[in-house]
Amino acid sequence: MANGTVAPTRVITGQNSKLGRTIHGLAYDAKHDEIVVPNALADAILVFRGGANGSEAPIRVIQGPHTELVTPHSVSLDVEHGEILVASLTGKRINVFAWDANGDAKPLRVIRGPKTTLGHLVGLAVDPVRNLLAVANSEDVLIFNRTDNGDVPPRGRIGGPHTGITDEPWQMQFFDGRIFLAASNHLHVNLYSGVQLKKDSTHVPDDPWLNPTLGFIGVWNVTDDGDIPPRAMIRGPFSGILHPVGLALNPADGEIYVSDSVRNGMLTFFVPDFFRKENSDSRKQ
Amino acid sequence: MAKWCAGLLLLLCLLAPAGLVSFSEYQDRDSKPVPEDIPALRMVADPFPALNGIAVDPENHLVVASDPNRKSLLLYDKFPPAGSSTATAPARQIVGPNTNLGMVAGVLVDPQHHEMLTANNDIEDTVVVMPYDANGNANPARVLSVPHQAWGLALGRKHDELAVSVEIFNAVVFYRREAHGVEAPVRVIRGPKTGMADPHGIAWDELHDEIAVASHGNFRGLYRNNGAGCVPVEPDDKESDTVEIGKFRPPSISVFSTDAKGDTAPLRVIQGPKTQLDWPMGIAVDVARNEIAVANNGDSSILIFDRKAAGNASPVRVIRGTHTGIDHPMGISVDSVSGDIWVSNFGNHSALAFAHRASGDAIPKHVILSAPKGTPTPGFGNPMAVAYDCKRGEILVPN
Repeated sequence: MANGTVAPTRVITGQNSKLGRTIHGLAYDAKHDEIVVPNALADAILVFRGGANGSEAPIRVIQGPHTELVTPHSVSLDVEHGEILVASLTGKRINVFAWDANGDAKPLRVIRGPKTTLGHLVGLAVDPVRNLLAVANSEDVLIFNRTDNGDVPPRGRIGGPHTGITDEPWQMQFFDGRIFLAASNHLHVNLYSGVQLKKDSTHVPDDPWLNPTLGFIGVWNVTDDGDIPPRAMIRGPFSGILHPVGLALNPADGEIYVSDSVRNGMLTFFVPDFFRKENSDSRKQ
Repeated sequence: MAKWCAGLLLLLCLLAPAGLVSFSEYQDRDSKPVPEDIPALRMVADPFPALNGIAVDPENHLVVASDPNRKSLLLYDKFPPAGSSTATAPARQIVGPNTNLGMVAGVLVDPQHHEMLTANNDIEDTVVVMPYDANGNANPARVLSVPHQAWGLALGRKHDELAVSVEIFNAVVFYRREAHGVEAPVRVIRGPKTGMADPHGIAWDELHDEIAVASHGNFRGLYRNNGAGCVPVEPDDKESDTVEIGKFRPPSISVFSTDAKGDTAPLRVIQGPKTQLDWPMGIAVDVARNEIAVANNGDSSILIFDRKAAGNASPVRVIRGTHTGIDHPMGISVDSVSGDIWVSNFGNHSALAFAHRASGDAIPKHVILSAPKGTPTPGFGNPMAVAYDCKRGEILVPN
């Protein structure tokens, strides 16, 4: 019930943890009681024991040339099939590893290539029941088959003006045939390629946090495809959401946890209706 | 370990019919919120400034701190002694949508031109320059676009250049001091020979013509298999068979020649277990005493090295302990007149000044508080993901 100006109950931190001070994804494995975190600046996936604290080292580290990891940014766990899925920020790929992979491990599968239309990836989620994979692309969400491999096109796409997604949809999670998405809509315009100015860079972009097109939490069905509005949303001035990026579900208690970049905080929403089966398609009502 | 429990829930929420409402339509509606505008049940956030970078200007009796939590710059001209428990009133606070301040990190002051500069570390990708007399929702004097993940700033007055450390690209980029808008760097230090790996703090020692850079050690280098093994290549190499080989290197302080550019090896590197370096953040060179001070974030200490230290060198002094008040320090700055070492703490809403010879569990001379003493902080620095640990009933938030 953490609320207000509170300190965390524990913090994993320090050099020994091998964490970077830029972490944009993580996932909790309830079956093995482990925490999985990407380190984009070291091209590594770190796995901590669930109760880790302080400057504690990870119990496994996936890193090395055979991993084909490139700026791993987001992770999702398929506990049922024993897999870790990793989305790359700059490498336009999804790498899939065995849950207990360690060291310079080869991925089980890599989705990569021009047919995939994968771009700037900042989030992904896996549905082990329906065997689907959702990927937060630059301006849309791509749906793949869970076991896709190589240069394959997505089987579906959620994007377009009616979705409300304008820029950088971020963390996602599946639940019972629904995709829950933190649609940040913060506008990141990158004038540099590495440390070199791009040729068409002329003006300083507007402050991305002041983008008037605010973000929201959106819920779609896994069968949705195309320019389809979300079936449920959280947004607006009373919600406190401005440009949300992090999202985690607690269906048992009917809660959604959201981190917001502009608020620099973490919000808890009580929305049990979002998890009820009969409300999976509110548009039919 | 305390467990977080779901609270009793008294709020009824209805799913809204799917349909998007534009921002202007919100303004036109009556006072009732639309169905999807559900208030949060709880929110963990810090209403007080969290201090990141720090810079001291003894000529003008000013300490400037960057605050990524409230997205502001704070200027202090009162330096209370240790023991105060009330928040220190800043002389001025620059905050608001006109300021271009976001997830601000490194900060420096330019007393000659009465300007303060700060690096926006996240997707803002800018350095913001404010005049000394700026206050409130002020417009910047200049805004300069820089590469993504700029962190530390240093000024070279003889070169009239601004140096910016860039984490993800393992580089230091240099601009004209007065650069603004979109301007290409005048030079860049980058490449395998530099040894930089996730650089953060940077300090320009103009007396000795050296630039020091602190690296955390997270390395993503580019390699190409030339048939006889993998060799490092320039980051802009376009060969299709390059691969990235991530590594964890020990943290370090690398010292370059002031005129260094391109793929240049440093003059000296402080690195190794005796150094006690642990996520070194800001660094400062004390030219009068020939020392380098390091805000050692990982173990909440200040390390002081001999300026010419190299290799697996021990610090000459370490300030660490419960009486120091040091709590996850980020920025560090040396008062060029008194020699006092100022450090900004991200962990406890404070900035501290230590006498230049302080060592061990020393009590600071001055304590600036951005919140009442003892106010807890969640420690957020733009949390961009969340996970739920259903076993412990805990919410995991990375920064």
